[in-house]
Amino acid sequence: MATLTLDSVSKVYKAARGKPVLAVDAVDMAVADGEIIGLLGSSGCGKTSTLRMIAGFEDVTSGHIEVGGRMIDNLLPAERNIAMAFEGYALYPPLRVRDNIGFALLRDRQPRAEVKRQVEEIAELLEIVPALDRYPPTISAGQQQRTSLARALIRKADVFLLDEPMSQLEPQLRAVLRARIKDWLITRKMTTVFVTHDQTEAIALADRIAVMEEGVLQQFASPDELKERPANLFVASFIGEPPMNLFEARVDRSRSGLGLAVLDAGGRPAFELRFPAEIAGLADGARVHLGMRPHRLRLGDRAGAVQGIVTSHSWLGDQTHVGVEIGGTECIIVAEGEVPARLGAQIAVEVPLRAVHLFDAEDGRALFHGAEAAS
Amino acid sequence: MSYLVLDKLKKRFKNEIVLDGASLDVERGETVVVFGPSGCGKTVLLRLIAGINEPDSGTVHIAGQEVTYLAPEHRDVGMAFQNFALYPHLSAFDNIASPLSARGVGRAEIERRVHEVAGLLKIDHVLHHLPKALSNGQKQRTSLGRALAGNPGVLLLDDPLRNVDAKLRYEMRLELPRVLKAFETTVIYVTQDYKEAMALGDRVAVLMGGGFRQVDRPAAIYKDPDGTDVARLFGDPTVNLVPGEIREGAVTALGARFPLAGRLADGACQVAIRPESITVTLDAASPGGAMPIDLGIGETTHAVPVELDAVTPLNVRAVMLLRTVDGRELLATCSEDEASRLPRGHGQGQAHIRAADLLLFDPGGRRLRPGERQ
Amino acid sequence: MERQTTTGRVVRVMLLTLVGLFFLFPIFWVLLMSFQTNQDILRIPPSIFFEPTLGNYKALISGRLESTAGVLEIRFMNNLMNSVILAVSSVALSLLLGIPAAYAFARFKFRLGEDIAFTLLSFRFAPPLLVLLPLAIYFQQMGLIDTYIGLIWVYQLITLPLILWIVRGYFEDISEDIEHAYRLDGNGWFKTFLHIAIPLAKPGIAAATLLSFIFAWNNFVFALILASADKQPVTVGALAFVTASGIQYGQIAASIVLSVTPTLLLALYAQRYLVEGLSLGAVKG
Repeated sequence: MATLTLDSVSKVYKAARGKPVLAVDAVDMAVADGEIIGLLGSSGCGKTSTLRMIAGFEDVTSGHIEVGGRMIDNLLPAERNIAMAFEGYALYPPLRVRDNIGFALLRDRQPRAEVKRQVEEIAELLEIVPALDRYPPTISAGQQQRTSLARALIRKADVFLLDEPMSQLEPQLRAVLRARIKDWLITRKMTTVFVTHDQTEAIALADRIAVMEEGVLQQFASPDELKERPANLFVASFIGEPPMNLFEARVDRSRSGLGLAVLDAGGRPAFELRFPAEIAGLADGARVHLGMRPHRLRLGDRAGAVQGIVTSHSWLGDQTHVGVEIGGTECIIVAEGEVPARLGAQIAVEVPLRAVHLFDAEDGRALFHGAEAAS
Repeated sequence: MSYLVLDKLKKRFKNEIVLDGASLDVERGETVVVFGPSGCGKTVLLRLIAGINEPDSGTVHIAGQEVTYLAPEHRDVGMAFQNFALYPHLSAFDNIASPLSARGVGRAEIERRVHEVAGLLKIDHVLHHLPKALSNGQKQRTSLGRALAGNPGVLLLDDPLRNVDAKLRYEMRLELPRVLKAFETTVIYVTQDYKEAMALGDRVAVLMGGGFRQVDRPAAIYKDPDGTDVARLFGDPTVNLVPGEIREGAVTALGARFPLAGRLADGACQVAIRPESITVTLDAASPGGAMPIDLGIGETTHAVPVELDAVTPLNVRAVMLLRTVDGRELLATCSEDEASRLPRGHGQGQAHIRAADLLLFDPGGRRLRPGERQ
Repeated sequence: MERQTTTGRVVRVMLLTLVGLFFLFPIFWVLLMSFQTNQDILRIPPSIFFEPTLGNYKALISGRLESTAGVLEIRFMNNLMNSVILAVSSVALSLLLGIPAAYAFARFKFRLGEDIAFTLLSFRFAPPLLVLLPLAIYFQQMGLIDTYIGLIWVYQLITLPLILWIVRGYFEDISEDIEHAYRLDGNGWFKTFLHIAIPLAKPGIAAATLLSFIFAWNNFVFALILASADKQPVTVGALAFVTASGIQYGQIAASIVLSVTPTLLLALYAQRYLVEGLSLGAVKG
């Protein structure tokens, strides 16, 4: 319930042998009051180090962290008024689940009846009512994780930090609990930073996502923005399941509009795309990476469609994933509902301009997003 | 007789009954996915087929021959393990070659077969590496290659994609059917992921409570489940279950009356609704405004007033948490583009549900099919 | 939290040095003694400055000890050879018996399995002296006293339980699925044992071999009672330096240095395995 600012925060770990490791590299991040932020990246990308620096478990090597305009760099973790849910749960084994959850409130000498009411409210929200009077070691991993979440979410703190908060949730509960937690955070205007390696979870919960890789903040934007305007090739390939279809391609401006000669793995031309829109800034013959999000592609035989062969087909109940081989390259298309397609059959794939993303062949920086030209 | 026949298999460990009369027939060349919640005995079942464990009673037949008590090395069975179980002191090549060298296949033939399998699985370039030098995905493919190399009559895959990351899992989910078809082998595939079950299985066998609850094609199980327990295993988010009341050819649920297509006896029931078959419109007064939605022509839809509590986008679709007037939670999904127009906080609106999309179950969770005599 | 002050670091280094000195000083002192004459050793106050001499080593190797009381025949080299024969054969026999047994205990659950394994371990609980007297009488009657075979047999009490229990732990840590996979490839259980279990338990087998070798090498009391001069290992042989005319500290020191050298070299050589083995054993792999 306060703003959180990271001002050029870096973390260097001194290694016993070899070079010091730059785990977090000058990360800037301004989090608004009540905003939900996801720190997303694969293991070792620096997301957990960042979270631990905010919590105060790690020193900041350089830079500053402010909460509500107050510098907290030199405060002990207990003095920061920050609540945290740990990845390893860190429950107190000799206390019942009920007392684990209410621990901070009881310590602050809140009336017992009030604590009981609040504990039961959050226990109902997270479906741990049956476990309230048991001890942590006797409940399942999923329940332990929900207890640890409840212990953090029940507090009144300036900032809430959640480390991999939902990795152990039972599949049948995951969707509903995610939604309930999001509702809880939004209605109480809780400023939240959570760490996850799972982009689905980040997209489901966060207002904005900080994508990190090798200690560097790659992009800090809303989920929609990450999908429609990924800042670079890394973000584009990290966000989305199935991931973005990626190809090498060459820009062709010999005729009007934008032409793309898509190349296969061996660098030979596989198929061609042509869009009538006038687009500035792309040089004729430039080598680029072409990205196309699977569910922006459509199966259908309108003008400009490319022909391919169906190589895989899986229907998942509410959506269908179709793999198509086009001129020696593989492409995934996601369609809503049930779509018939026989393995080995000919199929036409429509590529709307909106599906197209172009990235620099050298440094992977984004050059063009179809969503911008299409809107 | 089918190629692989499991007949009334029973197995208990200590005092826990894991399998209690599990029977399954699998045709030659078929891929059957054994799917169920964790701890339902899927892995034990595979071990009985492989000969790693023996059943307390019941039989296993492969190709018409009883193998219930035959040692693993004498069955024509290959297996890929969840934890890969590669031989850490042997190279990827020797790992894959192992079933061939055990059968005394000649050196040249081994070379040829290993490279063929490795080529199909795209790991030719790492064959000389030890397992510890392989990435998780390559380990997974090596373990699959080893299981396939001997060209076994029955191939057992024990949740082989469990320990690889989401991206590799997705790739393999698309690629595996093609690989398996290339070997024309009979496959038993165990998984806890309904997406794998639906994507890979010619048929899906739902294992619960020690036996097979339903065995059918993926589409049939998804659309026409035998029980609430089976229905709840499929879909992300899973099916909504609400209480209902059958009276005079209609079912009342969520405050709306849905006509039934056939006859059912009056009484209490449970109603299941898939999230993707609920369409949500928001009132004009809500932030985000009215959502224009094409509900189709000639469909009987029923509107239930709801409060929208939260929106959590998934990869392709977004999940909406709805609350009905009497406080019941419903999950609905919509496309990503529709979701971007929804408010961050709460909103008021209507949930539209078609009578044809309802699945009815008796209070005990058994399926009620309209038209059937009770 | 990884915060450490400078004072903390200094205190830590000092403590480590102290501990190091405490353990290493006796060894250093013995090494010095082995190059001194008895007069130098017994000088008061002791000094680390002296005229180094190889006399002690010469005496040991030649087997002739010349002292004020006359010439004493000692068979140090013979004893050293005995030590090697006894330790190597005992360990070899234990490996031969212990590894298959360890595998059986690790993999196959059979009636009384745990009890048998525990009984084997319990041999290590009783003080050796307790069994020595009856054993000496038995050996006398069976003609096993003062034979290599008899001693190797008794040494199994030391080496076998050690190998059995350490190696069993390693076998248990090998994922059973790896062995199942090998069976399914078409190999019987014995091949699986030879080609999968043993190679994977190698670090454990190396660690167990080294430890049991050291224990066997250092044994004193069994050999003291059950063997006479020509079968004695160095540990017992060193007693010969306690002569009527005094204790030959110089030669004792030299013999300690010589008898420690093989185990020390072996330990240094196998250190990699040992550390790897002792730590890996705890982690499932």
